[in-house]
Amino acid sequence: MITALILGPILGGLLLFALPRTADAAARACGVVLALAALVVTLTGSTLPDESIAWLQRPFIANYHVGLGQGLGFWLVALLNLCTMCAIAVIKVPRVRDFTALMLLLEGSMAGVFLARDLLVFALFWDLMLLPVFLVLIGWCGHATAAWKYLIYNVLGGLTLLLATAAFGIAAGTTDVIGHGPIPVLTPTWAAWIFAGFAFAFLVKTPVWPFHGWMPETYVELPAPMVALVSGIQSKAGLYGFLVIAWVLFAEQMHAMVPVFGSLAVIGLVYGGCMALVQSDIKRVVAYSSLSHLGLILLAIMSGQPLALQGAIVYMLAHGLFNVALFLGLGFVEVREGTRVLSRLGGLGVSNPRLAGALIFAALAALGLPGLGGFSGELLILTGLYQAGDYWQTIVALLVIIVAAAYMLRLFQGTMQGPVSDDLPQRPDLSAVEVLALIPLAAMIVLLGVNPSVLSSGVEPSNAVIHALPLQKERA
Amino acid sequence: MLHHAVGISAHYPLLLATWLLPLAGALLLWSTGPRIQAKGAVLGTTVLGAAFVTALLSIPDALRAADGYVGAQQPLVTWLPGMSLGLLLDPLSLLWTLVITGVGFLIHVYSIGYLAGDRAIARFFAYLNFFVFAMLTLVLSDNFLGLLVGWGLVGLASYFLIGFWFEKPSAVAASRKAFVINVAGDVGIMLAIFILFAQLGTLSYGGVFAHVAQLSPSTLLAVCLFLFVGCAAKSAQVPLHTWLPDAMEGPTPVSALIHAATMVTAGVYLIARCHPLWDASPDARAFVGVVGAITALVGAILGLGQWDIKRILAYSTMSQIGYMIMGVGVGAYQAGVLHFFAHAFFKAQLFLGAGIIIHALGDEQDIRRMGGLARKMPFALLAMLTGTLAICGIFPFSGFFSKDAILYGVLEHGHPYLYFIGVLTAAITAYYMFRMLFVVFAGQARTPASVGEHAGHAHHAPAWLMQLPVALLIVPTIGIGWLAIGGEQSPWARFFEPIFGASLQPLARLGMSEATSSLVVTSVVLLGIATAFFVYATPQALRNAPERLQREGQRMPGMLTHAFYFDDALDGLFVQPTRALGRFCAATVERDVLDGGVHDITVGARWLGHFFRSFQTGFVRAYALVLALGVAAFAAYYVLVGVTR
Repeated sequence: MITALILGPILGGLLLFALPRTADAAARACGVVLALAALVVTLTGSTLPDESIAWLQRPFIANYHVGLGQGLGFWLVALLNLCTMCAIAVIKVPRVRDFTALMLLLEGSMAGVFLARDLLVFALFWDLMLLPVFLVLIGWCGHATAAWKYLIYNVLGGLTLLLATAAFGIAAGTTDVIGHGPIPVLTPTWAAWIFAGFAFAFLVKTPVWPFHGWMPETYVELPAPMVALVSGIQSKAGLYGFLVIAWVLFAEQMHAMVPVFGSLAVIGLVYGGCMALVQSDIKRVVAYSSLSHLGLILLAIMSGQPLALQGAIVYMLAHGLFNVALFLGLGFVEVREGTRVLSRLGGLGVSNPRLAGALIFAALAALGLPGLGGFSGELLILTGLYQAGDYWQTIVALLVIIVAAAYMLRLFQGTMQGPVSDDLPQRPDLSAVEVLALIPLAAMIVLLGVNPSVLSSGVEPSNAVIHALPLQKERA
Repeated sequence: MLHHAVGISAHYPLLLATWLLPLAGALLLWSTGPRIQAKGAVLGTTVLGAAFVTALLSIPDALRAADGYVGAQQPLVTWLPGMSLGLLLDPLSLLWTLVITGVGFLIHVYSIGYLAGDRAIARFFAYLNFFVFAMLTLVLSDNFLGLLVGWGLVGLASYFLIGFWFEKPSAVAASRKAFVINVAGDVGIMLAIFILFAQLGTLSYGGVFAHVAQLSPSTLLAVCLFLFVGCAAKSAQVPLHTWLPDAMEGPTPVSALIHAATMVTAGVYLIARCHPLWDASPDARAFVGVVGAITALVGAILGLGQWDIKRILAYSTMSQIGYMIMGVGVGAYQAGVLHFFAHAFFKAQLFLGAGIIIHALGDEQDIRRMGGLARKMPFALLAMLTGTLAICGIFPFSGFFSKDAILYGVLEHGHPYLYFIGVLTAAITAYYMFRMLFVVFAGQARTPASVGEHAGHAHHAPAWLMQLPVALLIVPTIGIGWLAIGGEQSPWARFFEPIFGASLQPLARLGMSEATSSLVVTSVVLLGIATAFFVYATPQALRNAPERLQREGQRMPGMLTHAFYFDDALDGLFVQPTRALGRFCAATVERDVLDGGVHDITVGARWLGHFFRSFQTGFVRAYALVLALGVAAFAAYYVLVGVTR
């Protein structure tokens, strides 16, 4: 069943090509149903046993080993399936069938990353994630530069990950090590190099400042449904890697690098916030705000403080939800007005009150309005950071929260409020489907904001992986 | 999993109903608003009326003594041990709840008339209901976490309502400014929360206040000051007050409810609620008292230089909240809370009275273009006059009792300088309030003819819709001061005995009695009124009023017209540097450093591409194919190796 979460979307996506080229609605419907099925399987599957098939014996032991469990992976896969469903429902691009197929391919490969219990499986799905995004960039967007930049950064990251995985396998004898012991012992020299390979891949994929060069243009060029998944969920792959692989297998190296990565996180936090404040393209505002938010999560992960880590998990999910909602909302704006330039937009809220409502909700979640998911995550993270004695980081993060309020309102007010731009087309408000696609996201954002403990009370959030973290820190 | 989020056993259904009814109203209006419009106004008002009734019915719950505390506690959800949400209805939160729902209900009724005919009236009532829910969350919370949630949500409601007419660029800018400054305040409260949670491991009021002794004096001071950052932003204390005058961009009922009666007094509530912290920190008391006094004085001085009737009232609100903060800040909690209670009525009444005038004059707000309205609008005169007498502190209006209580309390707690500032402010207050009254109502009309209480807007709602709420507000403006007569045996003191009974006591007896103090204050107030009369209302002054007013406007010093340059200072110190940093990052770091390097690589790769293209298919999509084949080949290799191991 767990394998179905990976293969279902990928094979389902391929089967879509059996549909006629112009069957847009049918392709969308099939995509939504497939994603919904995956969501149902995930939510009911927290007790499913791991699936493992022996694969390599030489040069090291590798198994096709996947597991859902009840921890971070479970929540990320659930988030992935939910968001894919909502994003596919509102696809509005040429060649819907092909686009939907690529969305499903992305869903399946991301599920593979979060479900993998073997490093080699993890690395292969990691590289597979690259493919649908690249194909969409060259197939649906006018700009070749964006595709090239995306490719260069991510192939480099993927390659180092693959090399590091192979080296790990040779040094440790097995790659079947994610999420369960015993943790193999590596010689320090090997460990340092292997860790460097993993860390580089994670930093690029997240992305963390200054490895974000591919991000703004990719986010701007990708059509809304795809960028929603990339920014909302694929960005969590790197953070997931730090939490589940780096902290567990390379605790010592992580400790050594905490000052470095922590500094990069703080720089990204401030840099992203300031950049978001001066962007003129609406999608770039969210791209840089994302850089800022991801910096905060990385900061929490680097602190290793239990409360901050819980906050990081809450915030990863919340960030996924509100970023998907934000990019879908901005996609609606772009489709209606044919421009993304803030200075040209304005007053759309008069004719599109529902769209305005959706966008302000997502913006408020992103700026950390109390009562919504962004807030509870931020509060837990910062409470934890303060407890850990990271006073300066806490204060800097708090100041960036004020900046976040400014740039998010600038984004919302620039598009929805102020005088109506007469030279832009007046198009109808959100359709029922578009509203329905946003409601589950909004509901989850509220739920996370009111009671983030749903993550720990319903399903134990953390198998050994998360709980091991503070212990790892003490041991080191 | 979901039942953990919503599985609440209702110990106090009336309390829950009071809290949630406005939220239900807001959600209903948001989802159905465009279709029901004018009916939505009635719906929103009815919901709030029901909330007021349930609040009245829960009075016995609030006054019942339970084990160790007085009031009703309703747990909601737990995030972590020590970090949970819950409701607490005790005398202090009951007072605020009654004002929010009661005055709120009257203002809802008034708004039906004021916004009759507006295209988006249902949206307006959705926002109003949402505000009431948010404010109730703030005052009913039994812990700092819920307080922060309410604190943020009222800021949002305020943002929505200031920017209600969102096609006006000035309204959009004002709403953003209000929101961002209030987020700065939220951040202060968050810091206080981090310190408290790190030190005490709990955020519940009971848990924190029971262990105040464990905090070192410097920690305690830090907690108080960070909490006060929140108070300063929300309650418009210097230097975070600059959003309040701009907030007058919102419809007048909003100014009455949010920016006068309720939301802006949240800082007073917070200090009164956290009085065990203030009791234990003399430094915090001194600091907050001084800031409150400065705010009172600055607000009053700036009130001198305004021509917009709503901005005059806005600065007077700022000044009066300065009094309240000064009162609760130095430890005279009951007096500060009494002034909140009195102010909620008379200031709402002043704003609603001003709204009647603005409405009748077709959205005219400049007092220079009013004049001579006394005969045309007798009801507005009654409302504005009683409100003005109350705010000036004339016996027997409510402001007399509450302002005197604060001033005497300040003296009793050993701050003679603050007392002096307070008395001086009272004189200035009398002057600028009567200036407004004389310019608006006395003399000849400076407006086109044919205006009156029934002229103006084409779409008519019955006049009583706007007059009845104002008339009902006049009753407490005259009546409630009497609650405070009798010192420690007064009904007011007995009501708050469970809250403030064990709090800080005044210093030794003073040479001056409260009656003497009242006499001093009343005389300087009368002096202020007399001055205003001689400047604006003598027959000679009234004869050539237009020229005199114009001359006054031209001669007004820049300090007044620029409101002491607070706006420019905040802009130059915080907004511009942040923007400059952003522009620097965008222009230098991002483009030249980061992008530059990668750009070279991209160009190199392109060149390689061209190179290979010369002997391969020359189409960019081929690279996708190559990539896919590469991954597939890699996978296939390992699969094969696995099979043939």
